[in-house]
Amino acid sequence: MNFPSKLIEDAVTAFSQLPGVGKKTALRLVLHMLQEPVEISEQFADAIVDMRKKIKFCAHCHNVSDDTICSICSGSGRDKTTVCVVESIRDIMAIENTNQYKGLYHVLGGVISPIEGVSPKDLNIDTFIQRIPKEGIKEIIMALSPTIEGDTTIFYLSRQLKDQDVKITTLARGISFGGELEYADEMTLGRSIMTRRLYDNDINKSQG
Amino acid sequence: METFSFAEKFNCFVGKNGAGKTNVLDAIYYLCMCKSYISGIDKNVVRQGQPGFRLEASFDVDEKEMQVVAKVRVRKKKVFECNREAYKRLALHIGRFPVVMIAPDDTSLAREGSEERRRFINNTLSQLDPIYLNQLIIYNRALNQRNAALKQFAEDGSFNLSLMEALNRQLLEPAAYIYQKRKEWMGQLEVLLKENYAFISNKQEAVSCRYESKLSQANFEDLLLQNLDKDRYLQRTTAGIHKDDLVFYIGDKPLKRFASQGQLKTFVLALKLAQYHLLQKNKDQFPLLLLDDIFDKLDASRVAQLLDLLSEERFGQVFLTDTHEERMKAMAEKIQHHFSIFKIENGQLKNEM
Repeated sequence: MNFPSKLIEDAVTAFSQLPGVGKKTALRLVLHMLQEPVEISEQFADAIVDMRKKIKFCAHCHNVSDDTICSICSGSGRDKTTVCVVESIRDIMAIENTNQYKGLYHVLGGVISPIEGVSPKDLNIDTFIQRIPKEGIKEIIMALSPTIEGDTTIFYLSRQLKDQDVKITTLARGISFGGELEYADEMTLGRSIMTRRLYDNDINKSQG
Repeated sequence: METFSFAEKFNCFVGKNGAGKTNVLDAIYYLCMCKSYISGIDKNVVRQGQPGFRLEASFDVDEKEMQVVAKVRVRKKKVFECNREAYKRLALHIGRFPVVMIAPDDTSLAREGSEERRRFINNTLSQLDPIYLNQLIIYNRALNQRNAALKQFAEDGSFNLSLMEALNRQLLEPAAYIYQKRKEWMGQLEVLLKENYAFISNKQEAVSCRYESKLSQANFEDLLLQNLDKDRYLQRTTAGIHKDDLVFYIGDKPLKRFASQGQLKTFVLALKLAQYHLLQKNKDQFPLLLLDDIFDKLDASRVAQLLDLLSEERFGQVFLTDTHEERMKAMAEKIQHHFSIFKIENGQLKNEM
């Protein structure tokens, strides 16, 4: 693509570094900024620079935070004996949006995958293991993706925790709510049958 | 683009060598198995200079018509559709339309290394059991992770036993499933192999096939631990279902070393027909039978004998290729079945007889 201005070209190059943004979309965004008052561009640039420079990662759970300790770890009304292990910050947002969980989190920053060159030492595992006795954690919920890599990570973590008195749970796997059985794939359906639950028990649990 | 309208029973593609006869068979195979029989790599089956290809077929199963479309573009994810709905995973398509290909180089099954035979086992079981293919994909992924870790350990001079155990564990469940299914189905295949061999060879000698796996002698988890030093040294996993084999015997001797050329050919033909019958019995549906150039070097009486066999009710629709147009025309007149002949020239359908 040829540009009439070096300034435009630089801006297009900058935008097109973003994931999912190609050269054409970048140009559209740049031309849009050009039509808007200069203040808009200033605010835009400031917001990004501020975010990048001032953002902190929580010393306890590695969540994004404005302070040393994030709002979840320092929040009142949270169950501080339960910690939910997630892969990334996005997973925290997804679980928070369910309004079903009031415990703490721990962000690993990925899952173990030797193919991708990710080994346990590349993840926030040491800080996690240290947290458990220090904070008196009673239950750990492993909320990692149901993949080989997620499973490997869960098993690895449970091995590291084997001498500690803590309950380890994993997310239930099965048929999605509102889905129809005939569209579920065989693996999921087969697993759901293998790990079926007692119906009465379910009702008791949700009531009590 | 070429369009074929096939006869219910026999469909024969005639033409010179290199005219494109096998290509038509492979297109049918592709529509059933989501990959080519000739090359596992899609790029190799796209016409040179073209960005990709598209195949369409209309299958009639139990009076129901199903439209299958394959869209393949080089370096893009291929798309398979059934009745205009794209599959989320190709594995869901495999086995819906069972298929068996019999080709001249099938003897490599008996002659070459165990990889060829594992491919044969996997091809058969993937069509029989959709979960099998899934478990196989999971096993291979977990195996790659383990091998990558072994390499990484060797490079850094490090070792992490907990990580190794975590990676071992991922292999156990899919391996157990695959081992169980292979044992089960290969037992059934052997019975059918013996029947077919006896029939084709006029009961000359007994043959057998034996499924061999280290998992039959020991617990897989123990095997992985026992072989750990060796695995670390070689930087790959040396035990597991990826090393299984199917060993063929003629009498009580290994086929590979003791069979004549003729016996070898007869054996692999019987093996493929056994695969056909295994699929047919367990899927309650006739697989498509693709015969590539198997009449080559056979005299007229043997060709007639084979076509007689395939005319029987235990066979469904058959597709075959031959270089002898006249021979096939003569056969078509003799056989009391629907028999279409398609003449292929320079990769195009010349005419239909």
